[in-house]
Order: sequence, then structure tokens, then C-alpha cells
Amino acid sequence: MDLVSERLSIEDYDEAVELFYERHWTDGLPVVLPTPRRVAAMIEHAGRDPAESLGPVPPKGGEATVEKLAINAVMGGCLPAHFPVVLAAMEAMLDPAHNLNGVLQTTHMCVSLVIVNGPIARELGFNSRDGVFGNGYRANAAVGRAVRLACWNLGGAFPWDTDRSTLSHPAEYAFCIAEEEADNPWPPLHVERGCPPGSDAVTVFACEGPHSVFCYGTPEEMLHVLTDSLCALGNNNVHVLGQTLVVLNPLNAEEFARRGWSKDDVRRYLWEHARRRVADVRACGAIHEQFRKMERDAGRYPLRYDLDNPTTRVPVTARPEDIHIVVAGGRSYFAAVLPGWGGFGGFAVTRPVRR
Amino acid sequence: MEILSPVWPSGGAVRPPKRRPHTLAGARIALVDDNLDVPFTTRLEELLQERYGAGVRRLVKPSGTAPSPRELIDEAAGCDAAVVGIGL
Repeated sequence: MDLVSERLSIEDYDEAVELFYERHWTDGLPVVLPTPRRVAAMIEHAGRDPAESLGPVPPKGGEATVEKLAINAVMGGCLPAHFPVVLAAMEAMLDPAHNLNGVLQTTHMCVSLVIVNGPIARELGFNSRDGVFGNGYRANAAVGRAVRLACWNLGGAFPWDTDRSTLSHPAEYAFCIAEEEADNPWPPLHVERGCPPGSDAVTVFACEGPHSVFCYGTPEEMLHVLTDSLCALGNNNVHVLGQTLVVLNPLNAEEFARRGWSKDDVRRYLWEHARRRVADVRACGAIHEQFRKMERDAGRYPLRYDLDNPTTRVPVTARPEDIHIVVAGGRSYFAAVLPGWGGFGGFAVTRPVRR
Repeated sequence: MEILSPVWPSGGAVRPPKRRPHTLAGARIALVDDNLDVPFTTRLEELLQERYGAGVRRLVKPSGTAPSPRELIDEAAGCDAAVVGIGL
């Protein structure tokens, strides 16, 4: 296989690991060394041309060639079988709708979450159940980290340079979950978004870390607490719309379905009730008001809301379908909301996994 | 052992900037409106024209949080100087 990347000859394993730190080729953790043999195995498994590029990775524009992505996938701990998922995730992140350039450099703390759907999730051992956002599962960790390393090494937005995230969050190392499809009464995320049932797909969405929601009881009780959590005044969504994500655990979803609620019913209820009065939003201060006006001036804030009326109740997204709902986690008391960046970008993009 | 570089090779010469105009009077100034603060940008445009006599070419960018389209960058590059964005 013709690999064109620069080759470095290193005698000693420890020296090689340190070299990655010295050159800022790693995110702060040690890496698996990308030997030509490991990289070639990754590319052969995917059956792709190593020279094929998925496009430049912002902000610095390094090309996301299959070869460079394979190198970063090896570094992140991927097996060859994981690589098609990494490729699909990168394709999705590089879609202009996701605005990766902004996501990687904004002062906001959003990070692109990778959500895996389809039979491949179970086959490769992705966790979709207890501790889904946590550690302990190679597929989640390795694919999540491979994508982050690709952004790091090809995009080059570093926290001491153009990554201006004020606080960021630990998902910068890896942020990848699978949706629970077996213990789930509703159609999975990728099918809702147009993929055939039974197919494999990846959806990316830039969001904050999961905010815990103590969510247990009847549908009305669960919705009561979910709506409150969705429209906290610290969320960008309250001020500048965009998209947001709700993760319900399988027990939550089962209880909704048992009482006759479809996923769309839940979504519509959340959209209609997760709202704040303009007076509450205004009380946050002038800068919030300024951002909202900017969005309105730019035509990104629907004018049907009278922002001059303090009693107007504004939603967290412009449309119900901008509230994404995923089923994952253990059968227990907790759900999560993951607010997005707002109307600036990070929007959900879905791509099929080619294998 | 042999390992492969994970980064894209840096390359391509960086073009030197244009010579700074001696005066704004009569200079062609590209003003990139990045949609972050439209009233501020409009006021800046007025000041550049009325107080300093600059010829302003206002170029509207679809979003302040995404890169400028290539055509916009090329057009701005054809002016004597450019205001390329407003930091927030």
C-alpha cells in the first residue's frame, strides 16, 4: 500500500511516545504508535483509497485523507473494524451544516458528540446502556478519541491558540455513545433522520456535557422536570435557539410508550412547554439581549416571537424537530439534557457507515 | 521502528501583506460584515466614509461563526485594506 505520510525512525518505544508530546501530536494522553503496518490494516479493512480526502479540517485545513484518518485512528486505539465508524463520523463533522470551524474555536464549551446507530454498534461492542457517557468500553473510547485526534492533528485548533473554549469539558478527549436500540420502543435516531431501518449510521451533534435530570414517574412528571432542565437560563438555546439533545433512559422511554406517547409526542410537548418568558431572559443582562438581537437581525431568529413583550414565552429551538431525542443509559432514575451551541452551528448531521 | 506522521505537512508560501495605505482618504476598504453586530458595522461604514473619506466595499458574510466564502476573501483581497471581522 502506498502511504505518503512522513516516516520517522525511532529506536525506542518510550522515545516514540515522548516524540508525540514534543511535537504536540497528541491531546495530552499517550497514543498507540501508528506504524505503517497498523495503518495499512486499518485502510485495507475499510477498502478505501488512502489518498481519498473527506475535505480540509478547519481551522488550519489539513486534509482528512483516509491515510491521515487511519493514522489518528490507530493512535486513538481503534481496531480496523472501528475505522468505518470513524470515517462516517468525520464525513458528518465536515458537513458545512455542522460548522466544525466554529465548533472547534468558539468560546462556548460545545464538543461534537458522535452517536452510533445500527447493528454495527452491538457488533463492535459500543456501550449504549449503563454509564453510556463514561469509560470502560473500547469502541466508545477509541472511536471517540480517534475523531478528536483527527481534529487536533489536522485541524490544529489548540487551546493555547485558536480553540477559544472558555472552559471546555472532558469530552474533548472522546465523546461517543451508541443509542440503545433493543430496549427501545421507538424508532432509532438514524431512522428518524432518514436512514433505512437496520442500517448503520453515525450522527454528530455539538453540545455541552450531559446535565443530569432526575426523571422518573408518570409521563407528565417526567416531562415536568425535563422541560425545566431544557430551558435553564445558562443554556445558549434559551437565548439563540439552535438545537438541543435529550437522552432518555430505556425505562423512561418504556414508560412513555406504555402510556401511549410516541417520541414525536414527547418532542412536541417539550418544545411547547420548555419556554422562558422574555422578562426572565432579559434579566440575564445586556449581552444576552445583544446576541438575540444579532440573531434576529441576521434572520436566524423567527420573527413570530414578539421579543419586545416581556410576557412572550420563547422556546429553546425554532422548531420541534430541533430537539433531538436519543434512548441510552441504564434502566434507572436519570435522563440527561445536552444543550447545543445555539443558532451558530454544531447542528446534527447523519451519515451512513460504509462497510 | 518506523512510525507515520499524523499531521498534514505545512507548506505553501505565505504571501506578504500589502503595503499599509498612508491615508484612509480615497483608499478602498473592504468591510466584512460578519453578521455579528450589524448596527455597529453600519456605523463603522458611515464613519469610514463620512469622516475619513474612504471608499467602502461592504461584503456580507452569511455567518459570523463560519469562514468567509472564497469569493468574498478574493474580493476583499482586491482592496487596499480590509476590516475582516468584529470580535466578541
